[in-house]
Amino acid sequence: METPTVKKTSKKDYRKLILEGFVNHVLEHGTQPASVFKFAKELKMKEEEFYTYFTSFEAIKSAIWVSIYDATLEAIEAQEVFKEYSAREKFLSFLFTWIEELKKNRSYLLSLYADKTQSIKSLPVDTKEFKDKFKEFAGEIILEGKETQEIASRPFITEKYDEALWLQVAFVFRYWLDDRSPRFEKTDAAIEKSVNLAFDLMGKSALDTFLDFAKFLYQNK
Amino acid sequence: MSGKVKEQEAIPVSKVQRAAKFISTGAKVGGNYVKHYAKKIVNPSLNKEELHQNNASDIYNSLSELKGSALKVAQMMSMDKNLLPRAYQDKFTMAQYSAPPLSYPLVVKTFQKYFGKTPEQLFDTFTRSAVNAASIGQVHQATKNGQTLAVKIQYPGVADSVSSDLKLVRPFALRILNMNEKELDHYMEEVEERLIEETDYHLEVERSREISAACSHIPNLRFPKYYDEWSSERIITMDWISGKHIKEWMETNPSQKLKNQVGQALWDFYHHQVHNLKQVHADPHPGNFIIEPDGTLGIIDFGCVKVIPEDFYQGYFALIKKELVMKEEELNQVFYSLDFISDKDTEEEKVYFKGVFKEMISLLGKPFHVDRFDFADDSYFEQIFLLGDRISNDKMFKKSRQARGSRHGLYINRTYFGLYNLLNQLQAEVDTTKPDWLK
Repeated sequence: METPTVKKTSKKDYRKLILEGFVNHVLEHGTQPASVFKFAKELKMKEEEFYTYFTSFEAIKSAIWVSIYDATLEAIEAQEVFKEYSAREKFLSFLFTWIEELKKNRSYLLSLYADKTQSIKSLPVDTKEFKDKFKEFAGEIILEGKETQEIASRPFITEKYDEALWLQVAFVFRYWLDDRSPRFEKTDAAIEKSVNLAFDLMGKSALDTFLDFAKFLYQNK
Repeated sequence: MSGKVKEQEAIPVSKVQRAAKFISTGAKVGGNYVKHYAKKIVNPSLNKEELHQNNASDIYNSLSELKGSALKVAQMMSMDKNLLPRAYQDKFTMAQYSAPPLSYPLVVKTFQKYFGKTPEQLFDTFTRSAVNAASIGQVHQATKNGQTLAVKIQYPGVADSVSSDLKLVRPFALRILNMNEKELDHYMEEVEERLIEETDYHLEVERSREISAACSHIPNLRFPKYYDEWSSERIITMDWISGKHIKEWMETNPSQKLKNQVGQALWDFYHHQVHNLKQVHADPHPGNFIIEPDGTLGIIDFGCVKVIPEDFYQGYFALIKKELVMKEEELNQVFYSLDFISDKDTEEEKVYFKGVFKEMISLLGKPFHVDRFDFADDSYFEQIFLLGDRISNDKMFKKSRQARGSRHGLYINRTYFGLYNLLNQLQAEVDTTKPDWLK
């Protein structure tokens, strides 16, 4: 299950070859290869050689998710305005760019995850590594949001915010897979609206003031 | 709703949620009626003003959250002053100015989609937040090579949701406009057509160019230049026109001479379009006009253009002639061709509606009957308003299952009401020119 990322630096070409070979196989056959043996043969590699890079197909799929994530981060950080963005805008920018990166791999993703009953099991497994990385990124955004008062600090709940943002990523992915609108315009709208909702909920609201007041009354009875 | 436009809060996402939004408003409006009649039992002298006030704010609140075509319908209703009771009007006029802005990342994304570049790469400067909200988009200010530009960006997904939005608005329009279903469908098609056209930014640029070129000889008008290299399906870039909207301009206490000058430019602009070009900028709401300090009228936003069919034109304006010298038969002919009356009407209905329409037309045609008309005359507008109110509350009118009036008339009426209304706001007195055959 664990990806041997250490090897990445030594022989990058093979790693890349395997990833590309895997995507191509899925694109052409509509499913992942039947076995590692068959797949290695296709790539003109020995099976044991394959295992020096990846231990399973799950590890490959996971690496592909991570590479999409890395490309996204690279793209948004290249934009100069990104640094000036508020937390809300940073997250929006992330999702918009991420969707663009996903678009490059849409057929691959559709073949693997379009079927809801199957992907309900495989998706969490395949995206675990991506999720961990994303939560780091989300953590930074949340921290920044708290500093700028964009996000309200609430005991217990605040710790779960990164999880909430992850759910949103999952929602956007699902929405995008089913989106039939030209240029995926509806996904854009869905991102905009759902992120606004999320940040409005995380921001300081009447509820906080109410709780504060209730606490005061309770303590000073 | 005052001051800066607030960033949008929770927006209903799916169609179901949007529908839910409308339903909850429906329930509120229903509630307002219940409250109204309950109060009325206690206090019979209660007038409907308060009820309308309540309804208007509930409906407005719901519409403003939906943006896009729903907002457009709100605008349209606010234009048809004769159809709406006062309280609705005031609330809806606000819809013309305040819609919540798009986030900047989405703006960036839209640019990347169509030009492969971010706004910063394309322009020398670009405002991070919108400087103006249009009904289906928002406007940013940019500069390039020392020139100030207005960049209009359309909300994503608006084009797609026009039809479903209109279906959602339907039950409301029925109630607010006091129309029956047949009548409404008759017009809805027309509205849908215009709205879909409005989301087509290529068409808008094309039309803007065409009409501005054709109207370039009219004094005291200014049209922005449009830039193809920075325009696409969802983005339009044009010259920035700096100046004030009519309301703000009026607050600067301009001289009567300047007011008349602006009013005259406006009248001439419409005169030329209607009678010579036979296609008209059919969206005369105050946001589309900007007055420069020297009293030049800038005209922006050609999203809504109505082409006037020749036979409709003949019939419609024949009615506006000063003395209806037409014979009864001729008049009947015109009424038939404009769909004011049809064979399905009973004799009684025919007589009634002919009377009503004659009265309406002679009132609306008033500015055409003189050489110079003072639009500052509020009593004239009061008359129109009262007539509209009286007719829409008339039993005969409500009972009729017929759609009245040609669908083309919808936008032409709207244009003229809008024009009159703008001239009234300007307190202008203008030479009401008319084509030779109408004199």
